[in-house]
Amino acid sequence: MIRILNVDKRYRIGAGEVQVLRGVSLDVKKGEFVSVMGQSGSGKTTLMNLIGMLDSPGGGSISIDGTDITGKSQKQLVELRRRTVGFVFQQFHLIPSLTAYENVALPLVFAGEKDNDAVAAALGRVGLSQRKDHKPAELSGGEQQRVAIARAIVMKPKILLADEPTGALDAATGSLIISMLRSLAGEMTVIMVTHNMELAMCSDRIVNLKDGNIAE
Amino acid sequence: MRLHSLVLKDISRRKTKLLVAVLGVVVASAAIVAVVSTFSAATDSLYEESDNFGANIIVRPEVKTIPLVAGSTSMGSLFTGENYIEESEIPRIYTIMESSKLSVVAPRLYGVAELGNASVVVMGVDPEEERKLNSWWKVQGSWISSEGPGQTGVMVGSDIAAPLGLTEGSLFTLRNGNISMDVLVAGVIESTGGSEDAYVILPLAASQRLLGREGKVSSLEVRALCNSCPVEEISMQIEEKFPGLEARSMSQIVRNELAVVEHTRSSAMAVSVITLLVSTLTVASTMLASVNDKLKEIGIMRAIGASDAQIVSMLFFEGAIIGAVGGIIGFVIGTIASSIAAPLLVQVTPSPMWQILLPVTGICVLTGMFASLLPANRALGIDPAEVLRSV
Repeated sequence: MIRILNVDKRYRIGAGEVQVLRGVSLDVKKGEFVSVMGQSGSGKTTLMNLIGMLDSPGGGSISIDGTDITGKSQKQLVELRRRTVGFVFQQFHLIPSLTAYENVALPLVFAGEKDNDAVAAALGRVGLSQRKDHKPAELSGGEQQRVAIARAIVMKPKILLADEPTGALDAATGSLIISMLRSLAGEMTVIMVTHNMELAMCSDRIVNLKDGNIAE
Repeated sequence: MRLHSLVLKDISRRKTKLLVAVLGVVVASAAIVAVVSTFSAATDSLYEESDNFGANIIVRPEVKTIPLVAGSTSMGSLFTGENYIEESEIPRIYTIMESSKLSVVAPRLYGVAELGNASVVVMGVDPEEERKLNSWWKVQGSWISSEGPGQTGVMVGSDIAAPLGLTEGSLFTLRNGNISMDVLVAGVIESTGGSEDAYVILPLAASQRLLGREGKVSSLEVRALCNSCPVEEISMQIEEKFPGLEARSMSQIVRNELAVVEHTRSSAMAVSVITLLVSTLTVASTMLASVNDKLKEIGIMRAIGASDAQIVSMLFFEGAIIGAVGGIIGFVIGTIASSIAAPLLVQVTPSPMWQILLPVTGICVLTGMFASLLPANRALGIDPAEVLRSV
């Protein structure tokens, strides 16, 4: 499903350069739930951004479902990202002026599609059908993250990328979110960045990043 | 939900911040509307006044002057050329290219006749055309009409009415050699300060009989519709159509006054354009600040599938909304300001110029969109990966 081969990534910081990933190689199967762990600065988020096509590698290749995404144009990447990847962020990042329903509908709007059933189904999937007309400020943190998950799955992506999805939540709510991600795995490939070993244990596989390389 | 409704919801969330941008557009729009309304009313008023000046082209036979010299002694001048225009030729004036701009063509025949022991200038006119030309004349009694079966009616100027004791209803006889004509004073023209104060004015056909000039006229007084009419061009076309006639433009005074109005309007418009530029900067800086406020939001939108074109179109739409709202509010304020200021500044009361609502709003919408260019460029420079890394 996802094949990462000898991927390097460097960032220019001021006059210097920092190598964040060094020849990372990783295969993730379709429907697998993988946790990525590692210390701050180990390259977890960078790896997620590369898989999510928000960034491009300095070297090596990444292919999704057999399609090499390195070397694709920006326009092609936007279209591929829309259809292939859903994102869940630590800080939820919902649009404050929109209701839960409208936030979930956003990816469809950007894709030029109108599928009310898909929005309703996604909200139902995260148990928020009754809260669809509420704005983010009127929702709890856990509810906001569930809206973010609904937004991430509304386009039925092949990959769900979750970057510290429980980082801003209490333990009980975090467990609920993890169980939700767990239930989504199988239908889609789930890759989650976390610092929490207990939560990581819920996944099928844990990948440890250390100094820009995988120490599985 | 569509992209545009997304923008509208975002605007309603940030309306206080966007108020500054809208105000910038309001000021520019109001300035443009006030200037255009005020000076259009002033120009219209001037054109209206110019109508009261009477004719703006006078057509008469071209008279050539030949100096008579014997040796080194001047013997005076010899005038040559036809002194009259054939009345039957007059309709041809309506065949010139700019004929649609001819509002009045008034033929006149001048001559001298005896009134008792005095000599008076008589002027034969086409009463209908003459009345259109000199609608501002105040006549005690009534205007003359084209000759009918009854007594020939005349109008007399104030300078001869008083000394000769002529009033409405007076009867007198005009003589020219063996020809005599009994006439009835239909009206006395109050003093205009012009030469007609000393004229006896009678229908053209009667004057032709009296003066023995059947089928002839001395001149044509022409009024061209002056609002945008090229008077000199019309004069040239008349001269081309009637070789042997000269057509003189009388529009210099109006032109001078219009030049002053135009000059003032240009200056005021320049100030308005500067205001528009300043408002563009205001909108641009407000929207740039707004984009900076929404860096993360834009980054997230791009992460979840928004294309560059969609991000740019959202910002353009936001700029257009700011421009449209500012333009319409500015139109209302500018119209009110003009109705207050114009009577004080140029002594006219302008009416609301609904016909400029759309163009002015259009300019403001374009201004808003133009002002969105910089913020759009900034938004396109947002790297979602970088934004996500920093959150």
